[in-house]
Amino acid sequence: MAAVPALWLGAVFVVPLVLTVAVSFLGSSFAGIDDRLTLDNYRQAASGFYLAVFGRTLLFAAMGSALCVALAYPVALFIAGLPERWRLRALVPVLIPYFASFLIRVMALGMVMSRGGLAEAVLNALHLHRGALDVLNSPAAVFIGMVYVYLPIAVVPILVVLERVPPALTEASRDLGAGPLRSFLTVTLPLSRPGIATAVLLTAVPMMGEMILPDLLGGGRGLLMGKALSSQYLEAQNYPLGSAMAVLVLAAVGGIVALLARATRGFDGGRP
Amino acid sequence: MTRGLSLTRRGVLSGLAAMPATAALTGRAAAREAALTIYSWPDYFAPLSLDGFRKQSGVQPVIATYESNDAMFARLNSPAGTGFDIAVPSQAWVPQLAKRGLIEPLDHSRLDFSVITPGLLNREFDPGNAYSIPKDYGFLGILYDPEAVGMEIASWEDFFTAGAKPGVSGRVRMSGSGWETIGPELWLQGLDWNSATNAQIEAAGQRLIGFAKHIRSFSRLQAGDMANGTFVLATTDQGTARRAIAMKPGLKWVLPAPVTELWIDNYVIVKNAPNRDMAYAFLTYQLLPEVQVAATDYIGFPAPLEGLRGRLGADLTDADMIFGGSVIDFSKVSSFVVNPDTIGTYMRVQTEIQAAAAG
Repeated sequence: MAAVPALWLGAVFVVPLVLTVAVSFLGSSFAGIDDRLTLDNYRQAASGFYLAVFGRTLLFAAMGSALCVALAYPVALFIAGLPERWRLRALVPVLIPYFASFLIRVMALGMVMSRGGLAEAVLNALHLHRGALDVLNSPAAVFIGMVYVYLPIAVVPILVVLERVPPALTEASRDLGAGPLRSFLTVTLPLSRPGIATAVLLTAVPMMGEMILPDLLGGGRGLLMGKALSSQYLEAQNYPLGSAMAVLVLAAVGGIVALLARATRGFDGGRP
Repeated sequence: MTRGLSLTRRGVLSGLAAMPATAALTGRAAAREAALTIYSWPDYFAPLSLDGFRKQSGVQPVIATYESNDAMFARLNSPAGTGFDIAVPSQAWVPQLAKRGLIEPLDHSRLDFSVITPGLLNREFDPGNAYSIPKDYGFLGILYDPEAVGMEIASWEDFFTAGAKPGVSGRVRMSGSGWETIGPELWLQGLDWNSATNAQIEAAGQRLIGFAKHIRSFSRLQAGDMANGTFVLATTDQGTARRAIAMKPGLKWVLPAPVTELWIDNYVIVKNAPNRDMAYAFLTYQLLPEVQVAATDYIGFPAPLEGLRGRLGADLTDADMIFGGSVIDFSKVSSFVVNPDTIGTYMRVQTEIQAAAAG
């Protein structure tokens, strides 16, 4: 039976990955590959314009992920502080949107943020804004969309870890004279590092390949790696260059995973 | 709490896991019964086009869909691209499909081309219509709000001038396709977008990179965004323009000088089509005048039927917008063809334009 998951992993993960890596070292012709071994694809993918796109994508994912975690943490802390019977009820509204189609959620958010939309009406009614709301098709709209879409998957891992912080430890810190802020900064926050690391991983990795949000909410301005990569595969039909870009993104993801693993070292086996 | 969550998650996951399995079974069952499979854009056939054919032939066509021409090409060009009888590519990809032997030459003796508007036949992407039959067509035009723009627009030069004006800058939409963004400047320089060299495309792209700071979006245009003033100047086809003008009658749509785009979506028969005879029967049915009229009513773009305008209902007040204007000079429009030597340049320069738009 153990062979089944191995076969499954091999078929859907290892084989495509090996093929992608292999193709990235081959020469290209339109909608095809040739058997000439070359590093040109990597030279092209890691230089000039595409290097800038790659850098911008890393920054985009870092900022988006940081924003998600910064907003998810207080939500998770609030839920973790509720009596046990209320926690699930409090988590449900956070998770429900996640069960709707990604595209529907993004398009609905686009309608809310559009001129004459709900956000404009509410902000005008609260006198926080005057006139037409012009946020759609801007970087701000993309970041709002990212937080909206990825917040649920950032809340859950942080909440799971916070629930496991033994109350005795925070109580002990309070007994020893630490105020609420110091107790949080020196006990709760360090102990929740694995949750933060998982939340960063779960949000930053999909953001590295994000192409729907920049298109639907950002107006397609400011190219990111996800779009650049898919354009090489589809529009330019340049599979080797697209593969080289995919391998670079994968390497960056591997780097993120390694950094996060290092940041959470010492948390194995559930023992803080 | 953990247990409660776990149970809920398991229930939801089981439900989700069952869904694709059900869909796959339904899809297989449909494929077994079907004797015609069409690879097309989503929602691209009028009810009469499919139900009428089913009544006539006893066969309900199965429709598989794609979201872009390049995705369609990539699939037909791969081992996964088998089993289709008919595909509906835009003209740009027809030569590449034909050159690679992915579609079959048509048997003209089995189809009535005489009902088709002559201006749509024998164009450079498929001389003699050896491989393709037009399904419907449209144009790249300019939709604008004359009040906000403060000038009349008749040419691509007017578009660039208007787009840089205060109050218009930042409320401009252009296409996400390199050739539709760079093409206008090539036409202004008297060049042909199909024969332009990489250097000429790069040079023309420089003007667009400079103009990019005025562009707000390269994404698909929603008619409502022109009606509510998000955009006041946009390149778009007549279908979106028609919907926007219906919402805000003050908007105007023009086919700009000196040249603009004519796109044609076409029926082709896929290589080794499993149901070739049924495919010809389907195409013959789609060419019937009443079916073409129904298709035009449904999708809002004109079918290729010669004399179609006279057959549309007299109550259709905006028929001109369906056709892109009261009189169309087919010699003043150009259809893009994918050229392996230059398509990469169009794409790369487009990405630079989009990056420049972000500032």
